[in-house]
Amino acid sequence: MLRRQAVFSLRRCYGTTASLRQAAPSSQASRLDDLRAGILGRTQQPTANTEDADDDVRKFKLPPSSPSFYTARPVFYDQVAQLERAIATANNALRRAQLLPLPAFARASLPPIHPVWQTKEEMTQHFQTKMTLARYRKVTKLLNELNDYHRIANTAGVNDLANKIYSIVSLFESSKKDAFLARGKRKPVVLDVYGRSYTVGKRKTSSARVWMIPVQQQESSSAPLPMTTILVNNIPLNEFFPLPADRERITRPLKVAGILGKYNVFSIVRGGGTTGQSGALAHGIAKGVVAHEPELETLFRRAKLTRRDPRMVERKKTGLAKARKRYTWVKR
Amino acid sequence: MSLPTAALRPWFAASTRCSSRTTSRSVAAAVRCQSTATASSEPRRLETQADWEDFRLQKGKVRTLIDTFGEYGSTQTEETTFHLRDSLHKPPRNATVSALLAAGAHFGHASTRMNPNFMPYAYGTRAGITVIDLDSTLPLLRRAANVTRAVARAGGQILFIGTRPDLKPVVQKAAERLGPRQGYYVGERWLPGTLTNKREFFKDQNLDSVRVTPDLAIILNPVANVNAIREFALENVPTIGIIDSNVDPRLVMYPIPANDENARVAELIAGVLSIAGREGVALRQEDLRNQVFVEDKKARQRPFNGRRGA
Repeated sequence: MLRRQAVFSLRRCYGTTASLRQAAPSSQASRLDDLRAGILGRTQQPTANTEDADDDVRKFKLPPSSPSFYTARPVFYDQVAQLERAIATANNALRRAQLLPLPAFARASLPPIHPVWQTKEEMTQHFQTKMTLARYRKVTKLLNELNDYHRIANTAGVNDLANKIYSIVSLFESSKKDAFLARGKRKPVVLDVYGRSYTVGKRKTSSARVWMIPVQQQESSSAPLPMTTILVNNIPLNEFFPLPADRERITRPLKVAGILGKYNVFSIVRGGGTTGQSGALAHGIAKGVVAHEPELETLFRRAKLTRRDPRMVERKKTGLAKARKRYTWVKR
Repeated sequence: MSLPTAALRPWFAASTRCSSRTTSRSVAAAVRCQSTATASSEPRRLETQADWEDFRLQKGKVRTLIDTFGEYGSTQTEETTFHLRDSLHKPPRNATVSALLAAGAHFGHASTRMNPNFMPYAYGTRAGITVIDLDSTLPLLRRAANVTRAVARAGGQILFIGTRPDLKPVVQKAAERLGPRQGYYVGERWLPGTLTNKREFFKDQNLDSVRVTPDLAIILNPVANVNAIREFALENVPTIGIIDSNVDPRLVMYPIPANDENARVAELIAGVLSIAGREGVALRQEDLRNQVFVEDKKARQRPFNGRRGA
């Protein structure tokens, strides 16, 4: 009798199995939305419930809101459970979209990913528990898997799913992600309103500030060879650098690119001697050329023209006459 | 070795490649050419969106075929067919001896390690292993299910403990079945002092407003959680546990003699208990509705000594 009552009441609460399935969200994407909301709203205040147990003391107490309350780290375990559920949902959705399992050749076609997750300290704040290395690794492992699913969905063009996965993944990305990924990369040189590039070249202890501007071509009065001006400290090149070796070094970037008559160069050079100054000027000119014509970047890199020559004068050491020169060895 | 047959049997070309030293140079050269030919017949990388769409369409052909002809074939569909995951997601309401046998619940530990207090639940010995009597397991499981249902009906908090990696999804699912305010789980290590040193563990919550002590604890691997069982005993929390043949059944209040090493057994037992708990939750809702109805009826039947009229 009790059992029949129980089953009857159960059906009334939950409906039949058919209606259960209809009531459940049909698309995986909407489920991912719910999971994201769950991750964001991690601390929930328990709602007041006046109709509770018989015990007078317990009557006015509320049951804990999180199912992992007894782990003493409910926020962490709830978030991990949400992430695991998100992974399962995304996996299911990708399978339906015929994107999983992915054969080797398709996986090789995916672009590389560079995730930058929050640090342990940032995650400690997010999860409200101390992030030990083991916990951090567990979380990043789950995030990497989710990120991989995002990559697959994104590359295949399933944008709706990709966006929803990203909305969960982005909650854990570091705020310093762009800065981290751009580390070691050169700041791009922008041309000013007049079309000039401003670059700095260095060699030994010399530095050269270089401004380059394309030569204005006059059709009617153009000479067979275009003339350009290279001014160094307001002095023409041939006067400032009398040695042909220095001049050769300076014009090398322009010769390699085949643009000898294309740009006017004005530079201010300070520090060092002739070799250093000419090397610094060459470096600055090479960077300026790349700023005006980005297609030449690979060529210049291969020719090592945009490389700042790291060779500096080595210091003298004690017990030695010079940096490397030793005093004459005496037998006795 | 002619060229066409080698092309039809790439495994053949592979084997000759391995032993190319023994064959003549011209044959080896021919084999090498064939292996590059078979390499070019491998699918190209996917570059554009169109490539990816073609790839998905190609992959989905079999699925489309199944979906189209599924209506005309057997009545067994994706929903009705058996899956391995059904033991976790769709456990039965009542366990049977055959289900317990299939899960391997009758395998105990070594007979030399059998606890003498376990004797009433042991069927015998075979191959040096104690075989557990499932005819005694079944009524004890039913009793535990009744306890769970009653506690859930009274609005109690039920805690599932399974501290092994394969038991974690089991306890999570079981707690989920009972709902957010009555089902709880511990899937990783039980921190000693959680109940006996509450102030230390639950600092942030206001302990005067939150009920910390659970009303029932179901432990799937009690041997590894004796700390938890001790705390439950100190806090007067009734316990249900899966007891294997090397364990004293008096460890928990309501022992269920079964194999504690198997995840399938744990899925079955936790499933039965959590379904009973879910029924209890539903019965509670029913009781509350009835209570409201009865109170309303009583209020209407009281003598009308208020103002009359509209």
